[in-house]
Amino acid sequence: MFRLPIDSESFPLGKGPMVMLVLFLISTLFIFGRTEEEGENLEFWIFANTHYEEYQARVPIFEAQNPGINVQLINFGNTMHDKLLAAMLSNFGAPDLVEVEITSIGRFLKGAIDEVGFVDLRPRLESEGWMEKLVVSRFTPWSYRGRIYGIPHDLHPVILLYRDDLFKAAGIEMTEIETWDDFIAAGKQATRDLDGDGKIDQYAIVLDRRTESDYFSLLLQQGGGFFDEAGNVIIDSELAIETLEFFTALFNEHKIATPVYGTWHGDPSNFAAMQDGKILSILAPDWYVGILKSQVPQMSGKWKAISMPAWHPGGRRTTTRGGTMIGITKQCENPDLAWEVLKFTYFDRPGLVNRYETTRIIPPLKSAWDAPIFKEPDVYLGGQRLGELFIKLAPDMPARYQNPYWSEGADLLNDAIFAAVTEKQTPREALTDLAEKVRALIAKDRGRWGDL
Amino acid sequence: MEGGYTEKPLKTPIPHNEPQGIIKNRLWNQQQKIAPYLFIAPFYLLFVIFMGYPLISSLVMSLYEMRGFQSRIFVGIGNFTDLFRDPIFWKSLRNTAYFAVGTLTLQLPIALLLAILLNSKFVKGKNFLRLAFFAPVLVAGVFVAIIFNLVYDQRAGLVNQEFVLFGKEIGWLNEEKYVMPAVILTGVWQWAGFNMIYFLAGLQGIRQELYEAAAVDGANWWQAFIHVTLPSLRPVIAFVFVVSMIGSLQLFDLPFILTNGGEPADAGSTIVMYLYKNGFQFMRLGYAATIGWVLFFIIAVISIVQLKLLGIFRDE
Repeated sequence: MFRLPIDSESFPLGKGPMVMLVLFLISTLFIFGRTEEEGENLEFWIFANTHYEEYQARVPIFEAQNPGINVQLINFGNTMHDKLLAAMLSNFGAPDLVEVEITSIGRFLKGAIDEVGFVDLRPRLESEGWMEKLVVSRFTPWSYRGRIYGIPHDLHPVILLYRDDLFKAAGIEMTEIETWDDFIAAGKQATRDLDGDGKIDQYAIVLDRRTESDYFSLLLQQGGGFFDEAGNVIIDSELAIETLEFFTALFNEHKIATPVYGTWHGDPSNFAAMQDGKILSILAPDWYVGILKSQVPQMSGKWKAISMPAWHPGGRRTTTRGGTMIGITKQCENPDLAWEVLKFTYFDRPGLVNRYETTRIIPPLKSAWDAPIFKEPDVYLGGQRLGELFIKLAPDMPARYQNPYWSEGADLLNDAIFAAVTEKQTPREALTDLAEKVRALIAKDRGRWGDL
Repeated sequence: MEGGYTEKPLKTPIPHNEPQGIIKNRLWNQQQKIAPYLFIAPFYLLFVIFMGYPLISSLVMSLYEMRGFQSRIFVGIGNFTDLFRDPIFWKSLRNTAYFAVGTLTLQLPIALLLAILLNSKFVKGKNFLRLAFFAPVLVAGVFVAIIFNLVYDQRAGLVNQEFVLFGKEIGWLNEEKYVMPAVILTGVWQWAGFNMIYFLAGLQGIRQELYEAAAVDGANWWQAFIHVTLPSLRPVIAFVFVVSMIGSLQLFDLPFILTNGGEPADAGSTIVMYLYKNGFQFMRLGYAATIGWVLFFIIAVISIVQLKLLGIFRDE
């Protein structure tokens, strides 16, 4: 019979504590006894599942080409940005490489320029000539005070997806739409009460009045923004006010827009309304087409796409929404190696082709745009060459200047849009109030610690 | 000898006539003195590391504001004065109070009713029903929020499938006035069964003789409930009341996911959600710490008032 080498009775406090101690020692040995993989190790944090899956497939190729280098991919999902913030605050535990989402980057830019936790990539980009190879306006969301903290993962051009069958049934040929005025005229014709019960059964467009997403896209399309390049608040500019007046008029005056069903455009409720034929069009970035394909495959063949209507004839026919960057943190011990991994995951043509195939995301690397996949007909859009449309719009991406106060500003902008659409405030009042609040916030901080 | 430990006979007799035995004996006595402290040490050690230090640190932090990632600036009570002038804080406080009142007035009576039903002789399948009502609390708040996102779905949700029959398609999570009722109802679904267990335990502890005496005195069911059940349940009611109030004031994950961050127009924003936004989304850690301390004082004051009103401090 097995007997413990120590008499369990003589062990202080008996057998139980002794077993616990043995288990503790074994688990300690197991945890600390693990040997690190030999060679150079890099940690790469990701928050998006689709990106993670892509890199899982691509990174082993890089590792095979570069023996001795191990890239550890960690997908933290939605909690990643909070973990990164904690790691940067404690100056410990940050990864070497990390992807950051466009609405989250602002908070990482707070404080003195030298306290920003990302490496300035401008010298590398300029010396290797990458600036010219990418769509230059897409560096703006990841740049601040002259430094570039990230490489854009995407462009996210926006198109107008529409129900060709239902617009045609209303006697409208959407390919003839050029401006927003044209769209309003068509929208009034297509927004209809089909059964005569006094209620609208189909709306020309669905727009989000809960958050800044659609309004801000329209503002960017016109070259506006929340902050300008120098960091000044410009959300109460005449351009911003006119855009919000236009936005609210689509709901209240022209009555051709319905608020998004559920909490955002990707809500099952919104998809249900689409399937019911309640929604005839939607402003869709490239990634949203990927979501539609995966979430409502049964609508294949029902959607078509055109460039966004312009504000004026000959004006910009697209905008941008969303985005991700990759950056190297200052805690990275081998930034040269991290830079090589970065280039492989972001500038490698087969990887970018694969990205479009799975997510419909158009890369910012211009040399990848001639890949045959971008010319292929898209079954989901009834055989339309969606890639070609996106590529045509890609060079015209508007700038979206980044600012450390974006998160606070966006939170208040959501409220301002909702107040304007629900007619609690006029668009002018809502945006003037908003701008005053954000300016006061910035002034208070500057009063405390001076200009940064 | 001090303490009661040595009064118990030891299993192994210690030899007294050898020098080695004397040393062993001394060691044994020493470890008997130290052992109790060693046993409770992990709690105090963990408390100091994970509670004491962060508490003091957050109090200090509330007097500062982060300037960037590495430096901060002393602002004194500036964060507190800013907070009391912050309209979003007040709105979050109102929403939180709305939820707390909704929870106490809706959830607790339902929990008590369920407990009474499951305590009665006439209900069959009590074990199954107990499990069924208790089960929602085992589901993580995040999943509850996801489930109820579908339940409140404007087009195809379970709730609107009923209401739509009357010609009304309610945007539960899309219209300001419906957001908090939707959150409260979700809270009822998740927590009523949990509180029911406390009430059930309380009901089972009431002596049957009291009901028999009430019956002899001619009391009907309602009178017995008012004069026997409720007074006997007072400690349980007080406990559930206070714990539910504290939980309500700390509400975060449910509305955060259900309303996608408190929108529209901060209708779903709560104090803890506003704390999270300031700390993690706006990187205003000093302000977030201030919100945390103000919340602590609110909870402490309300809890003490509740306990006083419910007579928990009363000598009987």
